Amino acid sequence: MRRLPFYVIVSLAVAAMALPAMAADKPIVVGYPMWLSGGGGLFGQPSAKGAEMLVKEVNDAGGLLGRPIELLVRDCKGTPEEATRVSKELILKDQVDFLVGGLSASQGLAISEVAKQEKILYIAPISKAAEMCEPPKLHPYVFRAAANTKTEGRSAAVFMAKHPWKRIATIGPDYAYGQGVTQAFVEWMQKNKPEVEIVYQAWPKLGETDYTPFISPVLAAKPDAAFISLWGGHFVTFAKQALDYGFFEKVKVVAAGEAGSPETARALKDELPLGITSNSYELFYFPDTPEHNAYVQRLREFSGDEYGSSWASTGYIAMQFLVEAIKKAGSTDTDKVIKALEGLTIDTPIGKQTMRAKDHQATRGQFWGTTAKVPEYPFPILKPVEYIPAEDLME
Amino acid sequence: MFATGTSPCASRKGATAREGFVLMSLPDPSFLIIQALNGLTNAMFLFLIASGLSIIFGVLGVLNFAHGSLYMLGAYLTHQCVSFFVDVPGYFWWAVILASLAVALLGGVIERLFLRRLYHREELYQLLFTYALVLILSDLAKLIWGTDQFSVSRPAILKGAVEIFGQYFPKYNVVIIFLGPCIAFLFWFIMLRTRWGRMIRAAALDRETLGALGVNVNLLFTVVFVSGSWLAGLGGALVSPVSAIVPGMDVEIIINAFIVVVIGGLGSFWGTFLGALIVGQVYSLGILVLPRLSMVFIYVLMVLVLIIRPWGLLGRSLQR
Repeated sequence: MRRLPFYVIVSLAVAAMALPAMAADKPIVVGYPMWLSGGGGLFGQPSAKGAEMLVKEVNDAGGLLGRPIELLVRDCKGTPEEATRVSKELILKDQVDFLVGGLSASQGLAISEVAKQEKILYIAPISKAAEMCEPPKLHPYVFRAAANTKTEGRSAAVFMAKHPWKRIATIGPDYAYGQGVTQAFVEWMQKNKPEVEIVYQAWPKLGETDYTPFISPVLAAKPDAAFISLWGGHFVTFAKQALDYGFFEKVKVVAAGEAGSPETARALKDELPLGITSNSYELFYFPDTPEHNAYVQRLREFSGDEYGSSWASTGYIAMQFLVEAIKKAGSTDTDKVIKALEGLTIDTPIGKQTMRAKDHQATRGQFWGTTAKVPEYPFPILKPVEYIPAEDLME
Repeated sequence: MFATGTSPCASRKGATAREGFVLMSLPDPSFLIIQALNGLTNAMFLFLIASGLSIIFGVLGVLNFAHGSLYMLGAYLTHQCVSFFVDVPGYFWWAVILASLAVALLGGVIERLFLRRLYHREELYQLLFTYALVLILSDLAKLIWGTDQFSVSRPAILKGAVEIFGQYFPKYNVVIIFLGPCIAFLFWFIMLRTRWGRMIRAAALDRETLGALGVNVNLLFTVVFVSGSWLAGLGGALVSPVSAIVPGMDVEIIINAFIVVVIGGLGSFWGTFLGALIVGQVYSLGILVLPRLSMVFIYVLMVLVLIIRPWGLLGRSLQR
């Protein structure tokens, strides 16, 4: 092809700068407030990576409606206040078209409020507080691609109900997520297996550094099994302290909060108790399908992480929902995209997912399995592992 | 929990469901023993920290807010040393020694360069200075180690548990329970039976006269501050395998250490020991009664002590 004369290029550039509104390739801007520094960084960073990877894939394939996507990832630390501030800044200063992000349960609730006020479409990739997508908090602008505390607690109950365990204890962090998931677990358990007795409930504060005063009372109640919802680093701390009390020998443990994710397994290595049941968003080694394996391979190359983080799937799938909805709507108009998202079914790396029209909640199930050592990896994995779908657990 | 956005209705409903489970059946005695031992372990850590705080106050007259920061640095430095020396045999103990000595050294630097200039100023200036140190050291720790949670694995020989009446109790905690009184006795011996101890006690009473008698009071003060800092560093180093190492552990421990010395009597050595035992037991047995409010018992106890005996259980009355 003949090269364009210099003056043509210059005038095109000037035109592009002078008339940004008319330019066909003005990017679709998506704000991604995420907990990147500190305790949540271990999970927030890979989540942002997953979103970035999807954006790159879409842009490399020619963009969306002929326009590139621009992803603005911002650190919103660990608090709902900071999540609110960063979201507002993204809307007012950066004029983003859509919001995806937030990590903790309370951050999701905070960003949802902003989305409601500013009439911006918001998709929560991680935050699990069930009430976010239930009246009275539910509003037209909020969607959730993640599982919620109800489906997570209930899927743990489904798993536990299969075993002959009668006496059950719970240990949960004393805040929105821990209370929600524990309550969902207990209610589902009592409804479906009334003979089960909840013998003790421990509520350490979020970020507790010493769990030993809680460990002995749980053991004294002589439970057959315990439902634990300490997530991330909190579970790591708990497991190290509980190990020497013989906790994992005496009590069967079912741990929610992604304690079975490869991230936690890599942090604990030999100190991750074997034979405990836990969950994960995604597992690089399961399911062994071509689509999933291709996703893991791309993620490895994109993130430079030799195994591929499970948390990347949160950002990837949330962005996938947004992209597919915009495609379906043929527009970036917020109301049209909302209409398109309602009832939308997409093909994600972990299978088909539907965004329910009724409550804007994705039918995201959970991978549950038992920790075991295998020769292939230097840390324990979940084996056997199964996907417990969410459809039967939702109202 | 109130900033989390749980709707008040939902949380109240949850609360009643939970409180129902609190009234558990009478615990069997072997479990009570384990829980008391948990409290004792906690008390020994509190004693290590609070005794340093108490000695520094008793002799130098400085209420060192930054004492908890030194404890935090002890824990972080242990984590750092453990990851350096992971191939050396007995690496955990080397890390404990190195980390606590490094903290002691830092204490020396702080005393020599800064605190020394403030002895003759009003107490308010000393408080402001040590409080500023808290902020500086906590930011410094965040700068170096970030805000991630760390934890140190127990030394190999102390992994596992001993069996007490059919219940497991970690070996490491057993060692801590023995180590606490040993260090207490060592300090008591030094204070009561050695020349240095006599000088330190004299300095606490009347530093001018002691100086006039030809004792190098400046050096004495440095030694006391360094020893106090070493105790804080040692506490942090020893706590690292049983607690998560996180930003904020400095403020948490200093509050607890203050409670211990308020209950026991500021400047009183055995009072600190008694205070630590009480706080440790009240916390760990209080959890059995009101799992979510066991800290409240400790605060109530502190308030009672302040009303009835403001100088602490074993402290001297300020009205001399």
